[in-house]
Amino acid sequence: MSTFHLQIVTPDGLLFDGQAEKIIVRTIEGDVCILSGHLEYMSPVATGEAKITLEDGKVRLAACSGGLISVRKDITRLVADTFEWAENIDVHRAKKAKEAAEVQLKDKADFEYKLAELKLKRALVRIQVGESLK
Amino acid sequence: MSASSMKSIKNRIKSISSTMQITKAMELVATSKMRKASERIQKSKPYFNILRETLEDIARDNKDFSSVYTRDRKGKTCHIVIAGDRGLAGGYNSNLFKFIKVNKEDIILPIGKKVSEYFEGADIYTNAYSRAEHIKISDCHAMGNALAKSYEKGEFTRLVISYTSYVNALTQEPKTVSMLPVKIAANEGNSENHRLIIYEPDAETAFANIIPHYLSGMIYGAVSESVASELSARRNAMEAATDNASEMINKLSLEYNRARQASITRELTEIVAGAENLKQRN
Repeated sequence: MSTFHLQIVTPDGLLFDGQAEKIIVRTIEGDVCILSGHLEYMSPVATGEAKITLEDGKVRLAACSGGLISVRKDITRLVADTFEWAENIDVHRAKKAKEAAEVQLKDKADFEYKLAELKLKRALVRIQVGESLK
Repeated sequence: MSASSMKSIKNRIKSISSTMQITKAMELVATSKMRKASERIQKSKPYFNILRETLEDIARDNKDFSSVYTRDRKGKTCHIVIAGDRGLAGGYNSNLFKFIKVNKEDIILPIGKKVSEYFEGADIYTNAYSRAEHIKISDCHAMGNALAKSYEKGEFTRLVISYTSYVNALTQEPKTVSMLPVKIAANEGNSENHRLIIYEPDAETAFANIIPHYLSGMIYGAVSESVASELSARRNAMEAATDNASEMINKLSLEYNRARQASITRELTEIVAGAENLKQRN
């Protein structure tokens, strides 16, 4: 299969720079799959699982949240707030974060509620992706 | 000179050299933290640049584009001010405070303990981020989201950020940058710039969705630069202090040696004079 140039950028730096066959990410409208030769495209990214097929056919999973995906003729860029490869996820920590967020959800209102909700979502995705390796 | 003045000089030398040890240690700590901090700046830059590019693309490629985030409105200004938690960094904090222009009715979002102290009594947006050293990327996201919401609601209609930009290890400049509304240079009429890009769900929604990330990226970058600036300002200040201390020690040791010599000479004169006296009596 033909490949395209993919870059994954977070505030912590460039996490991936190389050829990929396929990337599936969750945008705010739902999952999208980008293959080589896609039209120029841009969409904000939500919290969810990202699945990347590398040029050797290997599939890598990651927990990804926030930012955008932008497809250009020569390059596809996933700009995420957080992006963690499944093997780097600390499931134990994510579980703790999930519990903490659930406690916060019980007694916080409005804005903080929303924040706690986002935290919970991120934790759930991390747990899901992290455990999918086992 | 007497033995007592020699003793006081000796005491001063002792106290200065223990101060010097502290300044030297602070210098070394700042130097080692510096490397990490400047790496962080380099790493966070692409994130912000791509977001900025994308925003510009959206605004430029869509002729009928209109968003609350690009319009000028009348109202208050929110001012994010980033400085340090501690002093002993030369003019790092005071340079920034001298530089920024804040109106009375402006809302302040302080980052750094010194900023909270400086703006006590002003209209504070939130004091939750008053420790600059512990600001993480997740804090910046929380800030970006909250600020974008407040801006949309009209709690303030302009957002600016003041921080100390890190030029290099020797130069740091206080800076004020406008964040909202986003100013985008007009299309120069070049039709090649006009591309067809699919936006999902649509350009406006995409734009509004990216704004919080753009803000948080900008805040994170500014915090990273400020931290690096603070560390290098502290390193320079401590380096100067260490140099001053060693110069003072040199001067004092010279003075001490002179005093010691003078007292030996005096003692010798006394002995010789005493011996002469004895001789004469015999």
